[in-house]
Amino acid sequence: MSIAEKIKVLIVDDQVTSRLLLGDALQQLGFKQITAAGDGEQGMKIMAQNPHHLVISDFNMPKMDGLGLLQAVRSNPTTKKAAFIILTAQGDRALVQKAAALGANNVLAKPFTIEKMKAAIEAVFGALK
Amino acid sequence: MMTEAAGRRVHVIQGEFKVINDPNIVLSTILGSCVAACMRDPVIGIGGMNHFLLPGSATSNSSGDATRYGVHLMELLINGLLKQGARRDRLEAKIFGGAKTIARFSNVGEQNAAFARQFLLDEGIRIVGESTGGEHGRKLEYWPSSGRARQYALTGMEAQRAMQMDQRPAPVPKPVESSIEFF
Repeated sequence: MSIAEKIKVLIVDDQVTSRLLLGDALQQLGFKQITAAGDGEQGMKIMAQNPHHLVISDFNMPKMDGLGLLQAVRSNPTTKKAAFIILTAQGDRALVQKAAALGANNVLAKPFTIEKMKAAIEAVFGALK
Repeated sequence: MMTEAAGRRVHVIQGEFKVINDPNIVLSTILGSCVAACMRDPVIGIGGMNHFLLPGSATSNSSGDATRYGVHLMELLINGLLKQGARRDRLEAKIFGGAKTIARFSNVGEQNAAFARQFLLDEGIRIVGESTGGEHGRKLEYWPSSGRARQYALTGMEAQRAMQMDQRPAPVPKPVESSIEFF
């Protein structure tokens, strides 16, 4: 069983198309346990019931944005150890710094290639295969 | 048409998007096989336009980087609208372009239009108008506050200009700063 297969990933993005593309990219990288949520609130609900090892979350979302979700994940004892990668549609220095301060493990700017996503995940978990 | 003549014109080029909340501004663009999505929130009269050509879309598949690039420009436009106070559930869209202007690019225009249509369908954004395909480029004008769009078929010199724009190298999805920040 590869490392990727063991990692439970939660995708959080308000755009259906982005969720599909993210899921597809993760599958190509060998991930098998993938869950998706449409906003931070829904994402946190899923995390609280079933903590995932890795959260890949968009920043710009209704209800609770990516940083809000990051804060919620980090302040819940059962989810605080999850790896967190935040996606941004527009590279924003301030956002990157805020994310780092709140405990994000990595930031990935959209649009990204599968290789870049792989690198971002491997920077957190080590080589996937 | 005094009011239109007096209005300011903002041009949107390939790979760009603009969001406008000024009723005196008309957005314009020139399209060959590229597609422009015009989106607005009719309640608050804020709207915008993007203009994209999926790079290498002739060979792209659903998971390709080309698709991700198109999704990116759609997302930037939607985020830009939401930032100005638009509500996602009220958004409506019109799509234009995707012409078969050059024989060797036979499929690209069609694929660009199909991508835009599928994206809007998947995202639940209403398509209230569409003019895609055909063999001529288009000059497009869009008034975000009213949602009115006007297009002219391009022939002669202007058509050539549109084709030249299509023949420019496809934009490489440009990462802002470095794509990945390690810390």
